[in-house]
Amino acid sequence: MTLSPPTTRRVVVVSVFTLALLVIAVVCGLVVGPTSVSNSRIFGSLFAHIGIGHSTLDQMQTTVIWQLRAPRLVLGLLAGAMLAVAGGSYQGVFRNPLADPYLLGVAAGAGIGATFAIMDVGHGLNTPTWTPLLAFIGALVAVGATWAIGGRGSRSNEGTLILAGVAIAALLTSAQTFLQQQASANSIARVYIWLLGSLASANWSSVNLILPYVIVCIAVCILCGRALDVMSVGENEAKSLGLPVRRIRFIVILASSLGTAAIVSVVGLIGFVGIIVPHIVRLLVGISNRRILPISAALGAAFLVIADTIARTAIAPSELPIGVITAAVGAPVFVLILSFRKSS
Amino acid sequence: MTNAIEINNLSVSAGSKKLVSDVTLNVEAGSWLTIIGPNGAGKTSLIEAVAGIRKFGSGSVKISGQDMAQRNERARARLLAFVPQNPLVPAGMSVRDYVTLGRTSYHGMLRAPSARDRAVVDSVLERLSLQHFAKQNISVLSGGERQRTVIARALAQSTMVVVLDEPITGLDLRHQMELLELLKKEVAECGLTVLATLHDLTLAGQFADRLVLLDKSEVVLDGPAHEIIRDPELASRYGMQFRVVDVDGSDVVVPVRS
Repeated sequence: MTLSPPTTRRVVVVSVFTLALLVIAVVCGLVVGPTSVSNSRIFGSLFAHIGIGHSTLDQMQTTVIWQLRAPRLVLGLLAGAMLAVAGGSYQGVFRNPLADPYLLGVAAGAGIGATFAIMDVGHGLNTPTWTPLLAFIGALVAVGATWAIGGRGSRSNEGTLILAGVAIAALLTSAQTFLQQQASANSIARVYIWLLGSLASANWSSVNLILPYVIVCIAVCILCGRALDVMSVGENEAKSLGLPVRRIRFIVILASSLGTAAIVSVVGLIGFVGIIVPHIVRLLVGISNRRILPISAALGAAFLVIADTIARTAIAPSELPIGVITAAVGAPVFVLILSFRKSS
Repeated sequence: MTNAIEINNLSVSAGSKKLVSDVTLNVEAGSWLTIIGPNGAGKTSLIEAVAGIRKFGSGSVKISGQDMAQRNERARARLLAFVPQNPLVPAGMSVRDYVTLGRTSYHGMLRAPSARDRAVVDSVLERLSLQHFAKQNISVLSGGERQRTVIARALAQSTMVVVLDEPITGLDLRHQMELLELLKKEVAECGLTVLATLHDLTLAGQFADRLVLLDKSEVVLDGPAHEIIRDPELASRYGMQFRVVDVDGSDVVVPVRS
């Protein structure tokens, strides 16, 4: 697109707006829900947690807020930020606007891992512990295989990696379809639900498990923003400008994939965030990854928490699949921004 | 005079095909050497190998006395700046940001450009009359302005050696001259060493101190520009006839229809 580079003022406005949205999302995540708890009590309890005043919540309310809504909120923030940053990083490193966090086979790998666990292929696997673990391992094995085929050797480039990812994903998806075909209707349904993605299984132990990895992975990707800007002139030119292109590509792919795998293993496959959020941010603040990645982290986090709030309240007590909301809300917003930027 | 570029027995292959075979060339510091030759002669392969973005099978490349194969990307980018034949210009990037990319090897990947980096960029933008375009999107510039911006990025690397592959492709005659004059000025005023490939023999002869004819991956002729331009071997290697006419002291190469 031939747009003028954004002014500093616009970047500041977008950043402030994104942060405000993030605050609203956090408040929604804690306040909105089928169990009504007065807002002042929730904030009283929040302040009590950081040592100011006393909580006036009763036992049941405390459980709802601190054992159900809070871990779910934190998981939503982490998942949204990670998927958006991974998507933005992949788009940068592959210089391909269609790149999303699942490009190199993370989704297919996690899918087959989870299917193994849910269908109880090894017997005794189908526990809440095994599903995320096998999904995580599956995701990493898939990306590892993609890298081994397309990312090593002097001939490797963005293209060979993407193609290797397509091949691995196709292979694993066919294996998964085969497995599912052998399964009972009940396990097929559960695999399907897992594939749709959900934050419903959130609890503090799963959040604590992935928190350090995800934070580190997000930080690494954001720190690589400047290097990704240099890579926007292509691998050869970036190299001639003094960038260790191969090392950067490896670091960014490792951090994005590891973080995405950790997220996917807990929340399943939530689509659309990784591709739509960085594009929205790019349309607003221009092509610099130094700006795109941190703003995407904040916007992705806010977006996913708001989508989850809708998912768990719209048809309460049932839940909508969050992927439905991310696409249904994200696509129109994206189209709106796209047409607005075109006309301006 | 010392040599800014020393190429020794350099060979480049792609599979079983030899692209550059056993080329030895030295380029004096502060001089301009242009490589000419028919399409497929191996000019781009040679230039890319020298620039460090194409692996070579054997031989060595030394820039300012330093063996390029022993240096990492960052050190290489401080020794030599490269302008490729078709630079990839990221749509939406400002001219200033693009030129600042030339400073990557100085401020590194994690730190922002320093005050010195910004000062160098300012001075290059001014030298190349690009200061008015600084905030503009590089992809809306005309071909001539855009190519000047790419040259600015290379000059921002503050290297003693600049390597250019067909820098004037796609430019009209005036912009071709302007660009080459601008480089010539850098050679004269800053002691820059230029290694370039050019298709236009007239311009190649007018701007280079020395010409090297590359054909079938080997060096065929090497000498002062005015001698090489008049060498009968030159026309035979291109497989055509042309006459060299003296116009006010400059050699002009005129093709002759057969």
